[in-house]
Amino acid sequence: MNRRKSRYLSKAGRNTIFYTFIFGLLFVILTPIFFVVSLSFLSTREAYQYPLPLLPELVTDFKLEGGEKGYLVSVYDKFEGEYQTVQDTDDMEKLSVYFRSQLSVYMSPDEIAEQAAIYDETGEPVYFNGRKNLIHNYNTFFRITRDAGSAFFRSIQIALMTIAISLVIGGMAGYSFARYLFRGRNALKFSILFVRMFPGVAIAIPMVIILVNLGFYDQPIGLALVYSVGAIALTIWITASIFIGIPVSIEEAAEVFGATKTRAFIRITLPLALPGLAAAAMYAFLGAWNETIAAIILTQFNPTFSVVVYQSLLGSVGQVNLAAAGGIVMALPAVFFTFLIRRYINQMWGGITF
Amino acid sequence: MSELTVPKPRAVPWQKYLEKFFPYLLLLPVIIYYVVFWLRPVITLVIQSFTAMEGGFTLENYYMVLTDSAFGPALRNTAIIVLFSVSIEFLLALGLALLINRKFTGSGIFLFLAMIPMAIPAVAVGAIWITGLTAHGWMNSLLYYLGIISLDEKIYWLAAGQVALLAIIIIIDAWQVIPSVMIILLAGLQNIPAETEEAGYVFGGNYFYVLRKITVPLLRPTITTAIILRLISAIQIWLIIVMLLGFSRMPVLVERIVYYYDEVQNLYISAQMAAGYTIIVSFIVSLASIAFLFFSGAFKSDEAEAKL
Repeated sequence: MNRRKSRYLSKAGRNTIFYTFIFGLLFVILTPIFFVVSLSFLSTREAYQYPLPLLPELVTDFKLEGGEKGYLVSVYDKFEGEYQTVQDTDDMEKLSVYFRSQLSVYMSPDEIAEQAAIYDETGEPVYFNGRKNLIHNYNTFFRITRDAGSAFFRSIQIALMTIAISLVIGGMAGYSFARYLFRGRNALKFSILFVRMFPGVAIAIPMVIILVNLGFYDQPIGLALVYSVGAIALTIWITASIFIGIPVSIEEAAEVFGATKTRAFIRITLPLALPGLAAAAMYAFLGAWNETIAAIILTQFNPTFSVVVYQSLLGSVGQVNLAAAGGIVMALPAVFFTFLIRRYINQMWGGITF
Repeated sequence: MSELTVPKPRAVPWQKYLEKFFPYLLLLPVIIYYVVFWLRPVITLVIQSFTAMEGGFTLENYYMVLTDSAFGPALRNTAIIVLFSVSIEFLLALGLALLINRKFTGSGIFLFLAMIPMAIPAVAVGAIWITGLTAHGWMNSLLYYLGIISLDEKIYWLAAGQVALLAIIIIIDAWQVIPSVMIILLAGLQNIPAETEEAGYVFGGNYFYVLRKITVPLLRPTITTAIILRLISAIQIWLIIVMLLGFSRMPVLVERIVYYYDEVQNLYISAQMAAGYTIIVSFIVSLASIAFLFFSGAFKSDEAEAKL
């Protein structure tokens, strides 16, 4: 009896240790991400504070009173627990710009002048607050970074072209490996894997001349052609394993009922293979979206989004909140698509059985 | 009878030829694609690396790379990062996977959250850590909130010495890599039937005996794949280092390629140096890839195919 009780206690103890451990692990994994997400919503003034606020303020509290040069404007600092003077001016335009750029509060000069008028009437300090524009850093990132917006759409365009090229060419090869037995099959299969593992940067440098000759240098299609080298191999890998899982007998059954081979493929096999094709497409998207080094080499005036973020972050340590916003914009599509294909990730690492 | 009659081949339906060559026909686009957009650039690169600036064969380019003052440190730093990334990070991931290897309340959410770091693009990982490791960054703030440092005890992470910087890079790498490797190993562990391990216990084995004799051998294919794929990508690390420290402060092999190609591209030796470094990296990665293909059975003959 006693013994059973102690065993029970030790089990509860073990559970506690186990969950403490799991939470510790999650803390380490998620803390950096939490801070960067929070940082991307901080105003410039908050981002320069030390220690950094854990969460962005949603509303900024102001105090307005008479100053030497006009009006003395103070901002409530939660960490210090007091109002801190930020501006002493009678220029409402200047105040509005300051509110916008440093505090992410969008208030027009007229709105601030209204508060100043109240002070002029009463002579008492005026307390008011302004709602913070949370996406201010994101707006600013797209505004001040050299063509971040067009680079964003260019990256998407490149990724879509990569998907198209790799699905058509890779899908055909994947079908061939899955359905037919032929001389040289094994050798071909593995030389394709070798191509995939060869560093991408190695082909990027000589590709400059080839793409210039084709007129594709600094063009989205040029990068799509380079990214497809890796994406095709992965597509073959995934589609082959998908097609092998679809029994030939259903295709044959369709033929018995009078369908041609092509029709059987389009109406029967292709719909069944759709999830695998979608996974391959998303891998192609991620590969093209995340790649930086070949994009640096193969673009000049039309960079991809990853190059824009890379260059805007390089040596811009002062603008931490903008850096965070750029990083988040870069990460969001990748994280989103990874979760869509998480079922296939193990397949990719698991084994290379076709 | 001076004329020889060529025997007419028996008429074979054209479909039969098509049937036979159909698999090759399906592979034709990918073969053409790889010849044009992979083989040709690779050959161009190899030729370029052996070509002197005035034309003609030379080994000068390799000599220049090998005697480059940054080559030694670059090779050493890459080797250290690869060593840690593949060995210690891997052992930690394996340990974690073994500890977690059971269904528990919330395991689905846990795996879901643990996958986030591996989904984040390298540039965004750079953004996370560059905002963290500046003196006013979130890392010091976090340590302050946890009560580890006081307000005026800021740690200047990026001003640390080479060894400490290497440790920081390895830790960042671990943050991104360990959860993903752990998930892959967990998937492998979950495919091992529980009965095999139970049998080990029934016959009197303790935990470590069963681990050594049953679990790890059954997990070996997953382990081999994970290690060599890690190896291939660890050799190519560069972006996080450049984003945190800039060029040349902690040279690694791929960083040198970008350095010569992008940063100092107007130097008269830039193209040669970039080509030389690229070949060296490609050679090392190729060795790792061939090891991968070897262990995954690429060089074993395919029985079904041999019968043809």
